[in-house]
Amino acid sequence: MKREDRKYYELDELKEKAPKLFGVPTGTKLDEMFWKVDFEGGRPVKKPLGGIPYLSIINLTGIPDSGKSLLAEQFALHQANQGYKVLFVTVESPANFLYTSLKTKSLYLGLDFERISSNIIVVDASENAELREDPRALMDTMAYAIKEKQTNNVIIDSITGLYEHKEMMARQIVRQFFNFLKKWRQTSIFVSQKRSAQGAETAEAAGGLAVAHIVDGSIVLDKKLIESRWEMSTYKLPIGSVIRTIRIDGCRLTGHDTRTWVFNISEGGTIEIVSPLEDLVRGGGDGGNR
Amino acid sequence: MEVIDKAVRDIDIDAMAEQVFQESINILGGLRKLIEYRNLTWLPSLAEAAYAVVMKEELMKTHKEIAFDLGLAPQTVQNILRADAKEVERFIKGEIEKVDEHKAGGIAKLAYERVKREKRITLKEGELEVLGVDWAIRVLMRLRGMDFPIKKEQLCDRIGGIVIKGKPFKTIVDEMKPLLGSPAEVLKEIKRIVG
Repeated sequence: MKREDRKYYELDELKEKAPKLFGVPTGTKLDEMFWKVDFEGGRPVKKPLGGIPYLSIINLTGIPDSGKSLLAEQFALHQANQGYKVLFVTVESPANFLYTSLKTKSLYLGLDFERISSNIIVVDASENAELREDPRALMDTMAYAIKEKQTNNVIIDSITGLYEHKEMMARQIVRQFFNFLKKWRQTSIFVSQKRSAQGAETAEAAGGLAVAHIVDGSIVLDKKLIESRWEMSTYKLPIGSVIRTIRIDGCRLTGHDTRTWVFNISEGGTIEIVSPLEDLVRGGGDGGNR
Repeated sequence: MEVIDKAVRDIDIDAMAEQVFQESINILGGLRKLIEYRNLTWLPSLAEAAYAVVMKEELMKTHKEIAFDLGLAPQTVQNILRADAKEVERFIKGEIEKVDEHKAGGIAKLAYERVKREKRITLKEGELEVLGVDWAIRVLMRLRGMDFPIKKEQLCDRIGGIVIKGKPFKTIVDEMKPLLGSPAEVLKEIKRIVG
C-alpha cells in the first residue's frame, strides 16, 4: 500500500507534518493569555505564546452585541497590517459595511489602511444565497481565494449564519469547514452566536450545538448590565453601566489563562482587555464601559 | 480590499451523479445483466438515488431541499439517505433473502463510496492522445493517492522523471505556482507552461 493511501501513521512519521507551536498575534492582550512551556536548564518555564496558536481554529462566541465581530475584525486588521493575507468570509454584514468598519478601526488604531486593504480578501456570503446556503460552493470559493491570494488566516463571521435555519446540520457543517481549513493550513476564527438564555457559566456558552466540540479552542465574550445595589457594590460600577468580560474557555493545543477578564470597547470600536475580573471585584482593576 | 461575491464552482454535481449512477449499474453486474433479469425498471430509482446521495454528501443539503430540487417526496429522499448500504450489499451478494432498506439508496451509497475512495478519473486515454495531451494521463496516474493541496516541490518526487512536450518536468516545475490545490490544477499549470 502506498504511503498516501494509508489510514494510519506511526507516531514518528508525523514529526515532519507536525505544526510548530507559536502565536499568531491578535493585537490584544489575548496574545499574552495563551502560553507554552519551554525547558530551560531542565526546568519548565511558562512563556507567552504571543497570539492564538498557529494553524488553530478558534471559536469566538457570545451573546448579541458582546464584541465578537469587533475582536475578529481587530485580528484581521492586525494580521493584515503585519503583511499577512487574511480571508474574511462575511455572512452577516455586507462587504461594503465591513469595509467601513475595518477602515474606521484602522484609522483609530493608527494603522496603514492602504496596506491593510491590499491584504484582506472578502468573500461576501451575506448577500449571495448560494454561498450562504451551499457549504460546498462556499468552500470551493474559499479554496480559490486561499490558493490565488496565498492567504494565511481565515475569519468566518459567523459560522452560525451558515446553518441558522437547519441546526440539525450544524455539526456536519462545522466539521466540514474545520477539516477544510486544516487541509489548507489556515489559522482561523469562527465567530459563533449563542442565545442569551445560554448562561456564561454553562457548556452551551462555548457555542451551542456543535462548534465548541469540534474546534481547537473557544473564547467566550459576555456582557452584564449592572442592575442592583449588590452588583454595584461587587463590580464597583454605577447602576445601568455595562461590564464586558472575556474568557478563554478552552484550548486543546496549548496552555492558557483560565480567568475571566474585563474588557472595554473603545470609541473607535476596538477591544481593550483591561484586567482580570477578580481584580476588579477586589477593587484593584478598571471597570467596563460606563 | 478585493471582494468575491459569487460562488467559484469546482464541482460538477451532474457529472458526479452520472458516475455514481454508472457505478451503481456496475455493482448490480452491468447493464446487460439488468436486461437479462428484466430489472431495467430499477434504473429511474437508481438515477434518483445517485443524485440524492451526491447532493447530500457534496452539497450537504437536507432531505427536504433535495426533495424540492429533484421533485421527489421528502419521505422518498429520507428513505434513500437512511438506507443501510451494508445490508443492501449483503442482499445483492445473496447472503440474505430479503431486505427492508431502500435498495436503490443502498446501492447508490455503495457506489458513491467507491467513486470517492478511488478518486476516479473520467478522462479517456485515447481521446487525450488524439488531442496531444496524453502526458496528462501519465501525470494523473502518478498523482493518484496524493493528498492535496501540495507544494510544487512534492511533485518532483512523483513526476520528476517525466518529459512533457520535450521539456523535462524538473524545468517546468520552476515556473509553477508554489501551492497546488488539486490534480486538475497541476494539469492546468503544466498546460500553461508547455503551451
